[in-house]
Amino acid sequence: MLMIARIRVWIIAASVVSLMTLAAVSWLSYGNTRELIAANQRLAQAHKLIEDLAALHVLLDDADSACRDYALTGRTDSLKPYEATLPQLEVSLQTLRDDVAASSNRSQQFQDLEPIVRARLEAMKELVQARTTSGFDAAVQVLRSDRSKRLTDEMRQRISVMQSDEHNDLLDRERESRVRARSTLRAVGLTCLLGIALLLSASLMIFRLSRQSERDHIALQNAERIQRAIVNSAAYSMISTDNVGVVLTVNAAAEKWLQYRSTELTGGSVSTLHDAIELQARGAQLTRAMGIPVAGDYHALVTKAGLGVADEFECTYVRKDGTRFPVSLSITALRTGRNDPSGYLMIATDLSEQRAVEKMKDEFVSVVSHELRTPLTSIKGALGLLVGGVTGGLPPKAEEMAQIALTNSDRLTRLVDDILDLQRIESGRLAIDWRLCDVASLMKEAADSVRLLAEAEGVTITVSPCSASISADQERIVQAFINLLGNAIKFSPCGGDIEFAAEMTTHSVLFRVEDNGRGIPTDKLETIFERFQQVDASDAREKGGTGLGLAIVRSIAQQHGGRVWAESELRKGSKFYVQLPLASSGSPPTD
Amino acid sequence: MQRIVLVIDDDGDIRAVAKTSLELVGGLRVVLAESGQRGVTVAHDTQPDAILLDLMMPDLDGRATLAQLKQDAETATIPVIMLTAKVQADKQELVGRGAAGVLIKPFDPMQLSAQVCEILGWPISRKDHE
Repeated sequence: MLMIARIRVWIIAASVVSLMTLAAVSWLSYGNTRELIAANQRLAQAHKLIEDLAALHVLLDDADSACRDYALTGRTDSLKPYEATLPQLEVSLQTLRDDVAASSNRSQQFQDLEPIVRARLEAMKELVQARTTSGFDAAVQVLRSDRSKRLTDEMRQRISVMQSDEHNDLLDRERESRVRARSTLRAVGLTCLLGIALLLSASLMIFRLSRQSERDHIALQNAERIQRAIVNSAAYSMISTDNVGVVLTVNAAAEKWLQYRSTELTGGSVSTLHDAIELQARGAQLTRAMGIPVAGDYHALVTKAGLGVADEFECTYVRKDGTRFPVSLSITALRTGRNDPSGYLMIATDLSEQRAVEKMKDEFVSVVSHELRTPLTSIKGALGLLVGGVTGGLPPKAEEMAQIALTNSDRLTRLVDDILDLQRIESGRLAIDWRLCDVASLMKEAADSVRLLAEAEGVTITVSPCSASISADQERIVQAFINLLGNAIKFSPCGGDIEFAAEMTTHSVLFRVEDNGRGIPTDKLETIFERFQQVDASDAREKGGTGLGLAIVRSIAQQHGGRVWAESELRKGSKFYVQLPLASSGSPPTD
Repeated sequence: MQRIVLVIDDDGDIRAVAKTSLELVGGLRVVLAESGQRGVTVAHDTQPDAILLDLMMPDLDGRATLAQLKQDAETATIPVIMLTAKVQADKQELVGRGAAGVLIKPFDPMQLSAQVCEILGWPISRKDHE
């Protein structure tokens, strides 16, 4: 990751430098090229001016020769070149005027040259007129005067100066063009070098990136192989879906359990693997519990997990051949960031074996229940009839012994009842009959059930209910309260008081059974809720308890989504608390 | 007129206790049967006022016996109270099959006749055995 970040920075920096360099070089090259084009134009103009000056010089020399020839020979046909040259001279002068227009120096020089040219033409004209009108001698006279020679020399000198100046300018411009061309070449060369350097660096970087990417790819493949091996060797069915319940992947256990090939499952709806009626029921249950409509399809599976609530429940998977098996299903929403779930992971544990064991256990408990109760019925019945005097009076000692036997047969009956109750509650197979229960009614029923026992022990029970309702199995909650009140009665001194109170908290009802008995040592406040754990080992014998009453209370409280705990002070008394959730809408707790 | 109760149970000790309890505490007349099949015959022959029927018995169990009793027009109207050692027995299910009530073993012999009378709506006739 660090390397990729560094490469990204490098690429951005290199791109910026390259772009800036290219822009600078392009701007420089553009300027130089424009200058070179302008210089070339000026070079062409200079060459043309030099040539036009030479042409003017030639025309004047040709005209002068023709005039001299006419002056010496007097042949009028000798004047033809002169006459032909005159209009050409005008054109040549106009051309030169245009050539020098762009340069003030040359314009000035041309303005100085043109009168001399005109004066020389005037001198030629005077020579021709002298020969025509005054004859050979007059013409010779004109020729001997040095005016014509002086004008010619001056004109040649000025043309020569102009040509020389223009030639010098030409050299300067050529030098300047070479400098600019070299500068452009250097810039282009530098740019090429920079480009090559950048290309080499980029190639190196791409090579390193490619090697790193190859290493990452191999590592990823290895990690994926390991992950797949783990997933496929897991003793759980794992199915991943998209956010609308379409199966994306399945592991080997899912294929084996459901008897499908992965290709048959992927792309189909996950709800086809579930019992349709069960999904409908769960959808209806979630609708009631969550207060939002939940359809009886894949929504019934993923809605809770989608809301970020941990969701684990038991349901039925349907194999390809239509057979069914129970599973414990855990559903987790797969998210990227804080967005809505992008999919779901469904991990299932096969409960078939567990259910078979539970069935065997049920059958065993049923048999044990019958086999223990049958002889107990005879023993208790016979002893009851003896002690009750139905079969005739017994001698006092025999009656005492029969009473001991009857009391212990009662205790044995309670023990069998408690073991069976606890086993059924803790296995979760005791059907809870959820009803909306009035707290005061529950407390009254429990207190009334132990009233006779309390009176026999000389103990007073004060009931202080609160006005509230809980969702509960009335029979089970009353059983729990009877166990707590029974304990309080057993461990209260004669004349003792028991307070059975309830108060409403924010989300629950807190029940309290308080006695002023012998109390419980601090180190036993937790363990007394374990099976067969009592404060004193002799309690079971002396108080007739089974050692299971508080374990049953705890199991019932937990099954109702509540908890139980005790506080106590030795020789001052004990307080047992049961906290149960308030009924929110009259519906039982959901899974 | 003394009411007749038929007790059908495969356990001889329980039959004896029940008979003693119902006769000596409740003042009822008791006839006994040691199996479901025998119970059906006795019921047909003696036409008891009520039947105490054990649920778990070998061969013809309580449910099957109850079904036979209810199928026979001669015994169909005799109220049957199921007697079971299974605390998790589904009382509603048994009542649905035609039972008048369910009593759980072990029963209190001093209360058995009173419980039977209460289920059947009979006046409690307690014999003074004190």
